[in-house]
Amino acid sequence: MTARILIIEDEALVAMELRFVLEDLGHEVIGMASDARAARKAVDSGGVDLALVDIHLSDGPTGIEIGRQLAQDQGVTVLYMTANPGMLGAGVAGTIGVLSKPTDERAVQTAVDYALRRRNGQPTEFAPPELRLFG
Amino acid sequence: MTERTTRSWTEADRLSALAAYDILDTPREPAFDGIARLLAQIFDAPIALVNLIDSDRAWFKAEVGTGMTGGTIETSFCAVNIREGEGDVMVVADATQDPRFANNAFVSGEPGLRFYAGRLLRTPEGLPLGALCVHDLKPRSATLTPIEASALEVLAGQVMDQMELRRSLRARALELSSRHAVEAELAATIGALAESEQKFRAITESMPQMVWSTLPDGFHDYYNARWYEFTGMPEGSTDGEGWAGMFHDEDQERARALWGHCLATGEPYEIEYRLRHASGAYRWVLGRARPIRDASGRIIRWFGTCTDIDELKRLQDGKDLLSQELSHRIKNIFAVVSALIALSAREFPQAQPFARAVRDRVAALARAHEFVRPHTEASRPSVGSMTLHAFLDALFRPYADDTGQPRIILQGEDAVFDDQAATSVALLFHELATNAAKYGALSVPAGRVHLTTNGVDDRFILTWDEQGGPPIDAEPTRTGFGSSLATVSVEGQLGGRLERTWRANGLLVVADLPATALSRRRAALKTF
Repeated sequence: MTARILIIEDEALVAMELRFVLEDLGHEVIGMASDARAARKAVDSGGVDLALVDIHLSDGPTGIEIGRQLAQDQGVTVLYMTANPGMLGAGVAGTIGVLSKPTDERAVQTAVDYALRRRNGQPTEFAPPELRLFG
Repeated sequence: MTERTTRSWTEADRLSALAAYDILDTPREPAFDGIARLLAQIFDAPIALVNLIDSDRAWFKAEVGTGMTGGTIETSFCAVNIREGEGDVMVVADATQDPRFANNAFVSGEPGLRFYAGRLLRTPEGLPLGALCVHDLKPRSATLTPIEASALEVLAGQVMDQMELRRSLRARALELSSRHAVEAELAATIGALAESEQKFRAITESMPQMVWSTLPDGFHDYYNARWYEFTGMPEGSTDGEGWAGMFHDEDQERARALWGHCLATGEPYEIEYRLRHASGAYRWVLGRARPIRDASGRIIRWFGTCTDIDELKRLQDGKDLLSQELSHRIKNIFAVVSALIALSAREFPQAQPFARAVRDRVAALARAHEFVRPHTEASRPSVGSMTLHAFLDALFRPYADDTGQPRIILQGEDAVFDDQAATSVALLFHELATNAAKYGALSVPAGRVHLTTNGVDDRFILTWDEQGGPPIDAEPTRTGFGSSLATVSVEGQLGGRLERTWRANGLLVVADLPATALSRRRAALKTF
C-alpha cells in the first residue's frame, strides 16, 4: 500500500531523512513544506493522501492549525510528528494522532501504515506503541 | 381612699419618691398658693400649708399665715402625721392636750398652735410625701364638718395632680436632655469617624495601589483616586456590581467565583486578572482583599487593593517563553542529530546497526529531556505527571506486546527526578531494555521484566528482574558497550552501585542509589 505523502517540517535534515525512509517504504513524497503557506500550496495542487505535520514551523507554531484544516476541510489524513507532543493537549479532531520525535524507521513505518489503513477503512489490529492516538 | 394599716414602704423609698418630683426648694407657684388659700378660707383658719417632709426638715411648697418657707422636723405636725398617723387624715383638736404636741415649740411658744387637720399627700404608689394641712390658734372640734373633710380630700388630690404634672414634665425634660446627650455623643462619634475616615482617605489617596472597600455583602462603595485614575471611569460609576465589568471577559467568571467564595467563607481574596486601563488596554493586576471584623468576629467590611503587575507579568511571560523556546530548540536538536546519523549511515549499509543503536540512545535521552525540561501549561506532557514511573512508562512503550500491554511491569514507589539525573536514568534503562530485547526476557514473546523501585531509608533501590527468557548458562565473558554505559551511569553519574546477577531463569540487576541521587537540586535545597 503506497501513498502520496506531504512532509510539513521546517528542519531540512529531519525532513530529508523522513523522505528517504518513506521512499524506501515505497511511498511517494510529493513535497516538503517548511511553513503554513507552502503547506497549503502543496495541498491545493492536489492528490495528498497523508500529511506528516510538525508543530513548530519556520513561521511559528502554525502546525496545529494546518493539521486541523487539512484533516477537517481537505480530507487529508494527518499524523503529527513533533518534539513537543504536549502542545497538542488532548488532540485535534479529525487527525490520527501524534508521534514523538526523535523516532526511528520502524515507528514511522508502523505509524504511517496504521494511518493509511484507517484512511482506507481497512481493519487495524493495534496502533504502534509510540503513536498517541486522538480520541 | 386608701386606709393605711401597715406600712409597706421605708423612709428611703419615701425620700427617693420625693426627690423624683424635684420640687423641694423650687419657687412659689400660683397653683399651689391658690390651693392653700382656698383651704384656709374654707376652714376659716389662719394657717394653711402644702407641707413636704424631707429627711431633716419640713418644706412648704405653699403657705398661708406663717411667712415661713419651712421648719424643723421636730415642730412639724405633718411629720408626725406621716410617721404615726393611722389614716390619711389626722385631726388634733387641742395640741396642748396631746402628749405628742404639748411640748412643741410652736404650741408652747409663739404662735401658740392648737388645732391641726392634715391630709397626707400620697403618690400613686402610696408613698406619703407630706400633707396638706390647716392650723388654728384656738382649739376646735375633733370632728371635721362634711364640707371641711371634703375640701381637705379634694384639695389634697389637687396638690398631688399638680405634683404629678410636675413629675411627668420633669421626666420628659430628662428624657429630652438625655436624648440630647445621646445625640451629642453620636455627633462626637461621627466627628471622630469622619476624622479617622479623613485620615484613611489621606493615606489611601496617596498610595500607589488602587484601594477599594465593600460592605460585608461585597457591595463596592469606595475606591481611591488611583482607581479612577487607572480605569478612567467617572467617580461612583463602578460602585456596587459595576466593578465586575472592568475585568477582561476571560477573567470575569474566575474572579466572580473566587470573590463569592471569599465573601461566603471570610477567606482572604487573592487573584490575578486583567483590568481595563483608561487607555482601553487590559493590564494584569494583582487583586487582594481582607475582611475587617468587629469585636464579635462578624465581618463588617472588606478592604482590597489592586496592584499593577503588568510589567512583572510580561517579564515573567518573556522568561517562560525564552526558557520554553530554548527547551524546544534542544529537543529539536535531538531530532536533527538523529536524522543526521540516519542520513550519514545511508552511504554505508554496514553501519546501519551501529547507526540504529546510536539513534535509539539519542531517542532515550530526548525522551528523558522531555520529562525534566521547563514546561509551560501548554507543553506539559499529557501523560501523567513528570515522575520516574511516567518517564519509564514512556520509555518502555515500544516494548509492549501485540495488544499494547506492557512487558516491563513497573511496581513500587514513584519518585521525581531532575535534569542532572535524567541522562543516567535514560541510558541505564534504555540499555537494560535493549539488551533484554536482544538476548534476555524480551527476546521471546512470553518473557516479562518486573521493575521495582523503592525507597529504603536513605537509599533508592531499583530492581530489574527478568523472567521467562531463554535460560542463561553463565555470565557472559564479554562486556558490551551498552553494559559499560549502564555501569558508568549508575556508579559514575548517580553515585550508586550496579549489581548484575546472571540467574539461570533470567538476569537480575539491582541499582542501589543514594535517595537524593534522582533530584540533587531538590535535595540541596532541602538542606538549607
